[in-house]
Amino acid sequence: MKDYLKMVIFVLILGVTTATVLTGMDALTRERIEENQLIVLQDAILEASGITDYDDTISTFEANLEVIEAEGKTFYIDGEGRVSYTFEGLGVWGPIFGVITLEADFETIAWITVIDQEETPGLGGVVEERTYLDNYVGTSMYPELRVSRTADADDINEVDAIAGGTRTSERFEAMLNEAYQAHRDVWLTLQESAGDA
Amino acid sequence: MNFIRMKYTKWFNISKDGLSKNNPIMIAVLGICSALAITNQVENALAMGAGVTFVIVGSSAVISIIRNFIPARLRMVTYMVVISSFVILVQMFLEAYFPFIFAALGPYLGLIITNCIVMGRAEAFASKNPIRYTLVDGLANGLGYTYVLVLISIVREALAFGTILNIRVMPEAWTDWVVMAIAPGGFFVLGAIIWIFRELTNNYENA
Repeated sequence: MKDYLKMVIFVLILGVTTATVLTGMDALTRERIEENQLIVLQDAILEASGITDYDDTISTFEANLEVIEAEGKTFYIDGEGRVSYTFEGLGVWGPIFGVITLEADFETIAWITVIDQEETPGLGGVVEERTYLDNYVGTSMYPELRVSRTADADDINEVDAIAGGTRTSERFEAMLNEAYQAHRDVWLTLQESAGDA
Repeated sequence: MNFIRMKYTKWFNISKDGLSKNNPIMIAVLGICSALAITNQVENALAMGAGVTFVIVGSSAVISIIRNFIPARLRMVTYMVVISSFVILVQMFLEAYFPFIFAALGPYLGLIITNCIVMGRAEAFASKNPIRYTLVDGLANGLGYTYVLVLISIVREALAFGTILNIRVMPEAWTDWVVMAIAPGGFFVLGAIIWIFRELTNNYENA
């Protein structure tokens, strides 16, 4: 019984001590980690606007992009009226997170960057590669993007699926469309109210 | 203190054990998974070596301090909790201050937890020895691991990318060996290094 008690006390002390140390470290580093993640996002948006030659991401971003927040959605607008917003959703193995840039018409895709994904390397993982994402440039999100498995993806709404990554492609298509619908409604309302004013 | 007398001190023997006589990679053949995975660039090998060294020294020190309080039946659990805490500390530190290295090491950083060297030193040394020797042992084993990693990565990076620490060392006409950038190349180099080292130190396993 005494041994048992000693064990419980030991485990409690061990647990509390390690938890305290880790919470402390988390508090110390959280701000910097969040800043690093923000920089990755801002780098992607700046690249979409064709700005690649700079030293300090945050100040360059602030100088070149306008941020509009409405109804919980965030839009990043560059000097030429292109609009970026982030999208996320579930891939096959884990979450996919990225940022998409549309031309000023809010329909044509100008650029896509996938920032985080956990798909199978070489198959679904192709989704983050620039050569694949380049296929999306010029296609239209309106009324709906289609990821095509046939050889002829030449419709204005169609993009080739990833060979060997069918399910990733389907999930990717769904999350892009979902994000587009959600952001489009807010964007149109914003444009209307801007027109009234 | 001259060298002959130093050879008989405990400090010297513990260091020699970790660095050469019982080198964790080349003699004990532990920690092979990470030694193959992240050695295609010298930069990554250095970061991984530093991370593992810190985790070994830190966790061994803590375990050595509390070794008389650890209930025998909770030994392994305690090691795991202490080691994981140190690994998470390293992870947070790199993510905050070296995000590019953090991204390059990817999942292997978290897998330091499963590196047999760390657990091995905790069980074989830290749980039986006072902290002053444990620190020497942890450092020797960590550095023993690191220098092998760096050796492998120098060969691999030079052959696979023609660079060392991203500085061009091979002539312009050099054709990169793609095989060296992927895991099989790591196997070849590691095998060769273990062979050369054992040949030089006359370390033969008895059949």
